[in-house]
Amino acid sequence: MDTETQLDEQLQSLLHRCAAADAAALERLYELASPLLFAALTRILRRRSLAEEALQDVFVSIWQRAGQFQASRGRAMAWMLSIARYRAIDLLRHERSAPLLVPDLPDRGASDDDKDESSSWMPTAGLLERCLGLLNDQQRNCLELAYVGGNSHEDISRLTGNPLGTVKSWIRRGLQSLRKCLEA
Amino acid sequence: MRPQDHPEVIDSLAAEYVLGTLRGQARRRFEKWRADTPLVAERCQFWEDNLMRLAKGLRPVRPPPHVWQGIRARLNLARRDQKRPGRPWAIAATLLLVVGLSALLYWRSIEPGKMTAIATIATPAGAELWEVDVYRGSLVMHTEQVPAHAADRDFELWALPAGGKPVSLGVMPAAGTAQRKLTEAQRLALASSAQLAITVEQLGGSPNGQPTTTPIYVAPLRSKVS
Repeated sequence: MDTETQLDEQLQSLLHRCAAADAAALERLYELASPLLFAALTRILRRRSLAEEALQDVFVSIWQRAGQFQASRGRAMAWMLSIARYRAIDLLRHERSAPLLVPDLPDRGASDDDKDESSSWMPTAGLLERCLGLLNDQQRNCLELAYVGGNSHEDISRLTGNPLGTVKSWIRRGLQSLRKCLEA
Repeated sequence: MRPQDHPEVIDSLAAEYVLGTLRGQARRRFEKWRADTPLVAERCQFWEDNLMRLAKGLRPVRPPPHVWQGIRARLNLARRDQKRPGRPWAIAATLLLVVGLSALLYWRSIEPGKMTAIATIATPAGAELWEVDVYRGSLVMHTEQVPAHAADRDFELWALPAGGKPVSLGVMPAAGTAQRKLTEAQRLALASSAQLAITVEQLGGSPNGQPTTTPIYVAPLRSKVS
């Protein structure tokens, strides 16, 4: 069993315990998952204080919705990362902030033992990586700006200096290529 | 055209929803649709699992401790797993028990000029009693367990500013987590304090704003707050 599978099984087990109102499981889950979720929130929201509030919202949601997680249908980290990203996108709407294309915020909170954690949570390279490799640079760049940075079509158009229609088209075609490749 | 008759439309919307580019009212409508329609939920799951790879460049960042304490407070977890305090004991016995409490206090700076501190107050055997978190103008006190004490007494926390009188930081919670904003006076006192102290006081804290008993514990700070 590879490390990634072991980690995900551990997260799944913790989520099941959370569903049974096991507070110790939530604490362990927080230790394991919060650094990546906090990084994702900080990247989208740009404001650390807002990301901290959002992280609280996310773990309250995880606790309340743990019973809805179905291990057979998805990866635990993907499930939690989605809750975090959707929360951040909702907050963007309220905050009316304008995400910008900037490098990662200084992650002074990261400690040495955080290093390489993100890659352990990621689905293994292979089919997925190969499919992403089929995208052209513009397509992949647009997808990353949207997914990681929380940027809208309009933001990406402004950031890359490309017309809005072109950006929408790159994203649409990029997603279509991915689907074809993944389901082939 | 009904979108549900066109799987490719569902898939495109799901992909853009997960990607985050579906916004506004369209996003709200799609969320409702996803909640009501298993096929839509299934396509979202597909994209959630696969697009996650795009986040591989994210470097994990450990959040500050007060975030977890806030989660515990919001979910009432402190109360959920709180052990009942022991029966009230005589103050003399309490003093014997808690004299020698050890504490770990360390300061970290997350933003220049922002005061951040964590204190873990524990018994000599290592059993944690309280964790105190000073962060951006707030004081968060989380109770692990409360030492046995008389029913008509509270534990009070003090900042000991250099060259000044002790400044009360309030009574320690009897259970769960308590959070309160620091006053300007408390913040200034903490900024020039080299030590924190805990005393046993009447319920609600000292009546005159100064300790009425000898501190049962004084914790040295490892560095000064800037």
